[in-house]
Amino acid sequence: MKVQELSGGVYEIKGGRKKQIATRNLVPGNIVYGERTIEDESVEYRVWNPRRSKLGAMAIRKFQMPFSKDSRVLYLGAASGTTVSHVSDMVPEGVVYAVEFAPTTMRQLLRLCDVRKNIVPLLADASRPVSYAHVVEPVDVIFQDVAQPNQAEIAVDNARQYLKKGGNLLLSIKARSVDSTAVPEKIFKEQLKILSAAQGIKLKILKKQNLSPFHIDHMGIVAQRIG
Amino acid sequence: MDTWFGEVEISDEGEIEKCNLSSRDPKELAERIHQIQKKGTAFRAGIELREIAFQCGFVDNDSEYLSLLQEACVEAARQSIKESYTPDLPIIHAVGVIDDIDEAVNLLAERLSVWYGDHFPELGLKTSDLASFVESKGLRNDMSPDDSFYVLTENSMGCPMGEKEGLILKAFAGDILALYERRSSLEQYIRDNMEDVAANLCHLAGPLLGARLISMAGSLKKLASLPSSTIQVMGANNALFKHLRSKAPSPKHGIIFNHPLVKGSSPRNRGKIARALAAKISLAARIDAFSGEFRPFLKDELEKKVASIESRQEKKRKGVGK
Ligand SMILES: C[S@@+](CC[C@H](N)C(=O)[O-])C[C@H]1O[C@@H](n2cnc3c(N)ncnc32)[C@H](O)[C@@H]1O
Repeated sequence: MKVQELSGGVYEIKGGRKKQIATRNLVPGNIVYGERTIEDESVEYRVWNPRRSKLGAMAIRKFQMPFSKDSRVLYLGAASGTTVSHVSDMVPEGVVYAVEFAPTTMRQLLRLCDVRKNIVPLLADASRPVSYAHVVEPVDVIFQDVAQPNQAEIAVDNARQYLKKGGNLLLSIKARSVDSTAVPEKIFKEQLKILSAAQGIKLKILKKQNLSPFHIDHMGIVAQRIG
Repeated sequence: MDTWFGEVEISDEGEIEKCNLSSRDPKELAERIHQIQKKGTAFRAGIELREIAFQCGFVDNDSEYLSLLQEACVEAARQSIKESYTPDLPIIHAVGVIDDIDEAVNLLAERLSVWYGDHFPELGLKTSDLASFVESKGLRNDMSPDDSFYVLTENSMGCPMGEKEGLILKAFAGDILALYERRSSLEQYIRDNMEDVAANLCHLAGPLLGARLISMAGSLKKLASLPSSTIQVMGANNALFKHLRSKAPSPKHGIIFNHPLVKGSSPRNRGKIARALAAKISLAARIDAFSGEFRPFLKDELEKKVASIESRQEKKRKGVGK
């Protein structure tokens, strides 16, 4: 078995013919959603399934993961925490501000927060970024996976208010959430335009790629704040 | 500025002018966060809160800052969750259970029908009738000659069945019956409680249809925020999707088609009447969600409107005939 760090806390594990990605378990012995673990030189890794996570799909597609040990991350659309848990692995000395607006879903996320102390849960609406201004500080990375019609606008609003200059915005765009009838390519184009034409913030698109076959009609985007 | 750790004032130059720190008790901090969120008072986002907390002497280092913040936010989220349960929730769950039961009971009743059919194919009963028959009468041999179904047992092409199987089938039929009964008791529950949850919607649409509309929208509040054109086609999802995709004709009515005023109208007027009903339902839901005041005249207005639509149509028809 060969373990190699791809970028920012994402590891590629090769064993036999299989190639998988994983993150280093922040809480060894504890798994989150039934994922497999692999031990190598007494380090425990949690296998990250790209089909269950847009960020995982982006990682396997060699998107540069802009995380470091002590990154501050704003995570919009945390759901029950499948992906949040991997982000939490990647920033062991940092913090993940996890925003989710559905109370029943948040209930599950809170269970995760009991074991992972670097996740700060916020039951709030990501389309109203000021509603968490009393808690959230400027961050190094924003990751967003909200699957809403106005997803690009939500990303821009949050980036403008919370993303440090030089920081990265990672975004999953779901075409069907914007319009279930239009051609996805057309929607992706429009959404990208919203990002690059945003007022009061300059975002440079570093990479964009369709996330199929892991996620159909989804596009992964990384942008850097340059102004 | 209301931060999670206290009230802070910062000058235009970025100097801290005042800091009124909160206690470091996580419970109190949580309550503070919860209150700020409820009030919705906002200040410019993206302030270096951690720096300010250090400068004000609230905490000394990163790990202290984070562990207090984390604990407080978890507790604040618990508080918000506790307050997020609304009275429409049990109604929504009840509708969900009814749907689950329907799905399950169809499967089970079908299975009973196939299995029992091996034994007594001539019977010709289905669903709850079959279940209650099997539960009370059992196998062919158990039936008394006075039974109205007895004649059907003579010369049956079904296979004989043993006592063991008979017991299983009887018990199984009993389970199915129990599900049918549970379903009616849930409907009764909805009838008894919808009035408290959404009096106007209940009065106008009827408790069961009203409950289903709430459940499809996700909550009474969400139903209240939907445009009436959406309410009109709710539940016609497949037809709606087809319409959007392939320019098929737009569906005229979703589940509100089940309302007696729409069902009982002449087919030509159904679209119009459904539209009028949807508009009133939307209004009723808004009143229920935001004021709760009961306005019985909503229904009178609707009935008048429907009558006028029908009579206009009637006149037109007669006019053409002249
Ligand atoms: C596709 S799921 C996210 C899955 C998650 N990122 C993962 O991989 O584990 C989208 C989530 O975003 C939440 N959401 C949608 N709109 C939101 C908003 N405006 N504010 C906060 N959360 C939102 C939904 O409740 C849902 O849980």
